Amino acid sequence: MSSNKRLFWWLVAPGAIFLILFLILPLASIVVFSFWRTESYTLIPDWNLDNYIRILTDWTYIKFLLRSLSMATIVSLICLVFSWPIAFFIARYGGKFKLIYLLLTSAPFLTGEILRVTALQQILGPIGVINMALSTFGFEPIQALMYTNTATAIGLTYLWIPFMVLAIYLSLLNFDFELLEVAKVNGARPLRAFWEITWPLNRAGSAIGVVLVFIPTLASSITSKFLGGPNGALYGNILANQFGSTGTWALGSAMGVVLFAISLIVLYIVWKMVGDLKRSGVTIKGGAEL
Amino acid sequence: MTDTVLKLDNISKNFGPIKAADDINIEVGQTEFFALLGPSGSGKTTMLRMIAGLEKPDTGTISISGRDVTNEPPYRRGIGMVFQDFLLFPHKTVAENIMFPLKMQGASEKDKRENLQWVSNLVHLEGLEERYPHQLSGGQKQRVALARGLVSRPSLLLLDEPLANLDRELRKEMEVEIRRFQIELAIPFVYVTHNQEEAMTMSDRMAIMRDGKMEQVGEKFSLYHDPASQFVASFLGSPNAFEGVVSSVEEGIAQINWFGHSIRARAHDGLQPGDRAVCYVKSEKISMLESGGALTGVLRDIIFKGQYADYLVSLGDGHEITVSGAPMTGLKKGAPMHLDWDPGKADAFRAQGGAQ
Repeated sequence: MSSNKRLFWWLVAPGAIFLILFLILPLASIVVFSFWRTESYTLIPDWNLDNYIRILTDWTYIKFLLRSLSMATIVSLICLVFSWPIAFFIARYGGKFKLIYLLLTSAPFLTGEILRVTALQQILGPIGVINMALSTFGFEPIQALMYTNTATAIGLTYLWIPFMVLAIYLSLLNFDFELLEVAKVNGARPLRAFWEITWPLNRAGSAIGVVLVFIPTLASSITSKFLGGPNGALYGNILANQFGSTGTWALGSAMGVVLFAISLIVLYIVWKMVGDLKRSGVTIKGGAEL
Repeated sequence: MTDTVLKLDNISKNFGPIKAADDINIEVGQTEFFALLGPSGSGKTTMLRMIAGLEKPDTGTISISGRDVTNEPPYRRGIGMVFQDFLLFPHKTVAENIMFPLKMQGASEKDKRENLQWVSNLVHLEGLEERYPHQLSGGQKQRVALARGLVSRPSLLLLDEPLANLDRELRKEMEVEIRRFQIELAIPFVYVTHNQEEAMTMSDRMAIMRDGKMEQVGEKFSLYHDPASQFVASFLGSPNAFEGVVSSVEEGIAQINWFGHSIRARAHDGLQPGDRAVCYVKSEKISMLESGGALTGVLRDIIFKGQYADYLVSLGDGHEITVSGAPMTGLKKGAPMHLDWDPGKADAFRAQGGAQ
């Protein structure tokens, strides 16, 4: 074995061992458990498909899955729409403060997730800033903000938007803004120039951002627990219940496998999009291929 | 000027303390090839960007075909532009790149196809329509950029150092081509460059810019042969410079004492006896005589350039003069040289700090 090869293995080994121990093995065990059953808080290796049949035919589970899917879709889209102007202006006009502006967007991460969600409660909830202010001035409080899926969507958007901004920003760093001037001289209004040039050339950034927001939102439970109220439970809450109070680990594992499968599908779609991009001849400024 | 297409009146523009344009006035006619020539940082690109609408002048007006466009955004000016780095849209095919301006105008599919065909023939891009920019050579990219600038038959084409990134052979070829397009289309081209050869080859008229100021505007011949300022005299061609004190001025010809030699040239800047002056003589305007002459020396070296040669003449007191002329076989290094020139073809200006 050449010294280069040996060095390669030494460098790769720690990461590989870590991944096998703490990602692949637990995932594999979840897949295995999903074909077992639980009885009185005990896993019984009794191979069957009951868990899958249940979650794919029982309307309750389908309903929560659909709710989470639409929540993830909506939150991803809102993040996408809000993040584009932020990322664009930081990348285009941030000057030497670019990095600082970018880091500021991740300021919410300076505190823990629960603290952030609790802080949102102080704004959206029945005794939160918005509704207290409204009732002080004699208006009806906004019901939609109190323990609803809307409140959860706002919370999730707030939680994940920095990732979207980051993904789009990184993509824009390689974007040649002069192309927009070319478009304008050639008759494109600013919005048209965006659709014709900026958007297609930064599809990869948007795609990665959507993945980074969609997948964690799909599995999220804490935000909906705090902001969604008793009727706002998502798939993630039901999943968490299986490993908590009800102790039906096998069923929970199957739900987890379903989430994993959906995430893979989303990744596949995104990978396809980026693949298309390469075929369409997109090159980063300087000539490197994507 | 009749049939003026582009008219700039009293254009000024500052970037902080830097004057990018200082009271510029330009008129460009319908069939004119107009070159804006100047060293980098002279404000010529800013000038072009203001005409395109990519920068706004602080004061002054810009009109195109009689219409005041000073406050119009670029997409309403109806001009074409070719950029230095080609700046093709990497995700669009050659055809899509070229048809982009038509698409923005909402032209019909038939219109787009017809114009694509016309312009591809004009710039010789047939057969490359479905390629992507990264599959093209530098010269092909430049042709696509030109085609994109011309396809909507603009009233004016702006070119920002379009040949700067091409190698010498290709540049020579494109110079001729670009001039051909301009004559064929009979629309004005405004061409920014720092390369005087390019400007001279293609243009009808040139403007020389320095530090945001227009030093001189005119026919390329008159700029070359009759420079009106010290900068223009020193910038165009490869002139020899002689700095000394004016001893007399008669009938517009100044006599300058240069290290004991007497040098004669047309007097500018109201030169008077006693003034310090700098005199420029283009190397090809110096003749080599059998005897006599204003300056004598010995031939130190010959730099053979093919069509012509540079003769480096040492004057004995350490100074050296370059004379350009037809290559001659008889001359040997060390031969005595007698140099002179027609004082009407040399120009003397008041010496300033930083003179060559």
